[in-house]
Amino acid sequence: MQLRTDLTTRAEQVAYLAGALDGLYAGPATPAPIRGGRRAALRRLRAFDARGYARTRNDVAKRGVSALSPYIRHGVLTLAEVRDSILSRFGHTPDTEKFVNELAWRAFWQLVYAQLGDRIHQDIEPAKQRARVARRRLPPEVIEAATGLVCIDESLHELYTTGYMHNHARMWVAAYLQHWLGVDWREGADLFYRHLLDGDPASNSLSWQWVGSTFSHKPYIFNRQNVERFSGGEFCARCPLASGGCPFDDSYENLALRLFGVSLAELEGRR
Amino acid sequence: MNGAVVWLHGDSLSPTDPALLANPVAPAIFVFDEPFLAAAQLSFKRLFFLYECALEAIAGRTGSIRRGVVVEEVRAFAAEQQATAVHVTASVAPRFRQYVAELRASGLQVVVHELPAFVTWRGEPPRRFSSFWRRVAAEALRPTGTGPVLPAEHDVE
Ligand SMILES: Cc1cc2nc3c(=O)[nH]c(=O)nc-3n(C[C@H](O)[C@H](O)[C@H](O)COP(=O)(O)OP(=O)(O)OC[C@H]3O[C@@H](n4cnc5c(N)ncnc54)[C@H](O)[C@@H]3O)c2cc1C
Repeated sequence: MQLRTDLTTRAEQVAYLAGALDGLYAGPATPAPIRGGRRAALRRLRAFDARGYARTRNDVAKRGVSALSPYIRHGVLTLAEVRDSILSRFGHTPDTEKFVNELAWRAFWQLVYAQLGDRIHQDIEPAKQRARVARRRLPPEVIEAATGLVCIDESLHELYTTGYMHNHARMWVAAYLQHWLGVDWREGADLFYRHLLDGDPASNSLSWQWVGSTFSHKPYIFNRQNVERFSGGEFCARCPLASGGCPFDDSYENLALRLFGVSLAELEGRR
Repeated sequence: MNGAVVWLHGDSLSPTDPALLANPVAPAIFVFDEPFLAAAQLSFKRLFFLYECALEAIAGRTGSIRRGVVVEEVRAFAAEQQATAVHVTASVAPRFRQYVAELRASGLQVVVHELPAFVTWRGEPPRRFSSFWRRVAAEALRPTGTGPVLPAEHDVE
């Protein structure tokens, strides 16, 4: 079936595509705030200021990140041209070197995908530690962004409404689903893949495996202190569980014991 | 019949796609992969993003955006355009390799173009990023140019 290419306004295009692709998508027929296309990609590249990246990239509130991933994932910008642009405009600094190092993660995942193909969707290695919580299916409150935990819900809400989630929030959500809730990483990865504009088989499945320790040497965990520090305290300030019942409010030593039944040293493979 | 068409897919959906650049006047096609998408049930946001990318990629040439079975649609498009060759940019996705094989089996010549490399790598990757980075850092940090020409500051939506 031939699709129309002559509609000029975004509103017309949205209304048209909603019908033309009926049956091929789930959820509401609303576009993302992020625009597709090379022109939008170049504007985003121009707008990204790499100065301070190393310091602010992990901060989900400060957002010192580029938001270029949807364009890179779809080949609208290549890794090489993004690297060249950033290095030529901002020079060689710890910030630009960190940024290029992050670009290299994508290059690495792509190489693994080229080698393993669809096997990246299965455990690549045995898990180094398994969470003790009983296995369960993806609970409805995750699908509805209504877990009651502000850091998780707002991250999920952003994913569902914009198609983007900050890297650090992706790590929190992936760890929460796997290690606290006992959800199989494939179900979490599937949820992300369906909503992310940058949803990529390799970067997504392999990152979930990295968090779960089937493609890394230890499971990734985080605690409340980490959330507070990298969100400027914003999430916890608004969270009803901040004064009691926060499942992340513990030391790493206690979390290792609670979640995996091992010491932190064991969890980290130091023993 | 000796013309060529360009097949664009979701891993290289840009007016600067190497297969497009190598064939500046060739007709181009992008196909929403019906069986795959019907099963995957992605958000509309993602499909609309692809549509916006595809519209810009084919602008200025004979272009077609379709919904259907990729190999069938590309074959039909090539026949309509009296082309015997399909140019496309490489992807590591297994589905891409399968489609290329099916196009070839149907008698079309398929020319695969490579993306400009970020780093050169031959053989299997290591198991951990840290050892990958150790081996590629010097090359990754060496620019090959100054990057694309950026729009002027006042160019906004
Ligand atoms: C559970 C989980 C799932 C993920 N799923 C995806 C996915 O489907 N697609 C995807 O592109 N990234 C994925 N990532 C990686 C990372 O979160 C995103 O690439 C990043 O958040 C994109 O935002 P940005 O462009 O602002 O990043 P920036 O910090 O500005 O980084 C610049 C670019 O480098 C690349 N990059 C940075 N970090 C990573 C990384 N850890 N792995 C791979 N590439 C990276 C991206 O292309 C990104 O656009 C995932 C991470 C986790 C923890």
